[in-house]
Formats: sequence, structure tokens, C-alpha cells
Amino acid sequence: MSRRKINIKRELPTTTLSGFALSGLLVLTILNILLHNMPTKIQTAGDALLKLNATEGVANAVTTVIVFFRGLDTLGEIAVLFIASLGIGLMLHSNSKCNIKAESNFMLQTASKILFPVILLFGIYVMIYGHLSPGGGFQGGVIIASGVLLLLISHKAFEVPHSVIVALETFAGVSYVLIGLIGLLVLDVFLGNFLPHDISQMGLLLSGGIIPLIYIIVGIKVGSEMSMIVQNLIKRDHDV
Amino acid sequence: MTGFIILGTFMGLIIVSFAAITQKKLADSIILFMGVGLGSVVLFFIFKAPDVALTEAVIGAGISSLIFLMALKHLGEEK
Repeated sequence: MSRRKINIKRELPTTTLSGFALSGLLVLTILNILLHNMPTKIQTAGDALLKLNATEGVANAVTTVIVFFRGLDTLGEIAVLFIASLGIGLMLHSNSKCNIKAESNFMLQTASKILFPVILLFGIYVMIYGHLSPGGGFQGGVIIASGVLLLLISHKAFEVPHSVIVALETFAGVSYVLIGLIGLLVLDVFLGNFLPHDISQMGLLLSGGIIPLIYIIVGIKVGSEMSMIVQNLIKRDHDV
Repeated sequence: MTGFIILGTFMGLIIVSFAAITQKKLADSIILFMGVGLGSVVLFFIFKAPDVALTEAVIGAGISSLIFLMALKHLGEEK
């Protein structure tokens, strides 16, 4: 027991702890500022956004808030996820091929062949219909990543090529910023809705202007990043 | 009827969360944590937040538990 305690002490460097304390202090300061500047009628903020929702012609109000009114936040969230994926890749990446000792069960192999297309289809459905029904880019991307995880644990030779991940992620990130910049050029607002978004089209698949486009981009980016995280963890698992 | 479902889910969530933090084996804890996620999916759906429910089902109950399990396998069964 005593030996383990020494180990824990060794594994917790003081610099990391002081960094955590400093960031905690920062968060508390920001929270304090936010709480002091809080509007008194807080319940009306959501109502105002919901009233504005109808102007964008999107059936799912949550999607409008996430992608349009708080589009910059979503860009930041994607950047955070990218940094998390990058960190896991830096810590766990290894060039050795997967070498699982035991072959996976043949029932798992057969079932994964049947289930993977269904999971992929469901993920793409959730992604594309994000502006009409519950769901969206984040959820669809993670569903696709779980399908990739199923293939990774069932087929030991399976591996998502790194170049494909890099291409998809770069395409998605660059096109998100490009759409925002086009909005800035056309409408003088970053991520402005420059495509036609008439309210009479509400509920159709092609409605809402750039909002479904951005959710599909978010889905591609989240899916590739989560697939990379899962693959790095699995490969690292098999190395040990 | 909905009130009973909500009450039952809340009670079940409290019991499962308590069981999750008192387990001896970490793998059991993770499986129970997955159960907590599923219970909160039901609650979110009843409280008319299907977006949050879908997110919780996919991320909270699904892939984060799997990542926990993979990390546990990598670290070994130590406390």
C-alpha cells in the first residue's frame, strides 16, 4: 500500500496541479463577472431567440440556436474536439500494426458486416436531417464513429487510412471557415445566412440556407475526429 | 402516469448512481455509469428535450463508456 502512495505522489507533478488551480481561479473569475452582469429577466432570453428562429426557416429551433445564433461557439467546440483528438494521437500514436492475439468471434464478424451499413446510414440520416428532427452533426458523427469502433473490434486487419481522416477533417474545417467568410463578405456578418432561407420552405429538406450545410460539415469533422480517437485507443490497446 | 415514470426513473437513477460509486471492480462501475446515462436519456426525453436525449444516448451512454472501458483495459484492473 505504501509503495502505491509514493507512486501517486510521483505521478502528480506540482506544475500540473498549480495549472489546474490557476485555470480554476480564472473560471471562477469569469463566472463571477458573468453572474454580476446577468440580465434580471433571464427567462426571456430563450423566448427572444425562439421568436427569431422563425426568420431562418428551420423546423428544429435547437439547430438554429446551435448552428446559427451560436455558430461561432460551435466552431470553437469543433476546435476543442480537434485539439483533444490531436492530444490523444500525440500520446498514443504508434506505427506498429494491429496485432491482436485472439481472433474475434465469428458471430461478431458476421453481425458487424450486417450492422455497419445500418449504423452508417442512421448516422448520415441523423446528420442530414439535423435541421428537421432531433439530432445533428455531433450526434451523427459520433454514431458513425461507433460504427467504425464496431469494425475495429471485429476485424483485426481493419484500419481507417490516416490520409482519408486528414483529407475529411481538413475539408470540413476549411469549408466551415470559408462559409463563415463568405457570409462576412455578402452580409457583413460572420456565418451569415447568405443562401435563400424562405419561411415558406420550412420543413423541407432543402431549407434553412447554410444551416443544414454547416451541420453536415460538423458531422464529417466530428465523425473523423472521433474515429481517430477510437482507433488510436484500440491500436494502443493491442500494442501492450 | 408520466409522473410515476419520472419518479421511478429518478429513484432508479439515484440507486444506480450509488451502486456505481460503491462497486469494487471498476468495470462494473463503468457498466452502471452507462445505466445512469440510459436513465437520463429517458428523463431528457420525457422533459421534451429530444436533442439532448439523443446526444446523451450517443455520447454519454455510448462512446464515452466504451472509451472508459478501453482506457481501463489499457491501465489494467488497479484501484
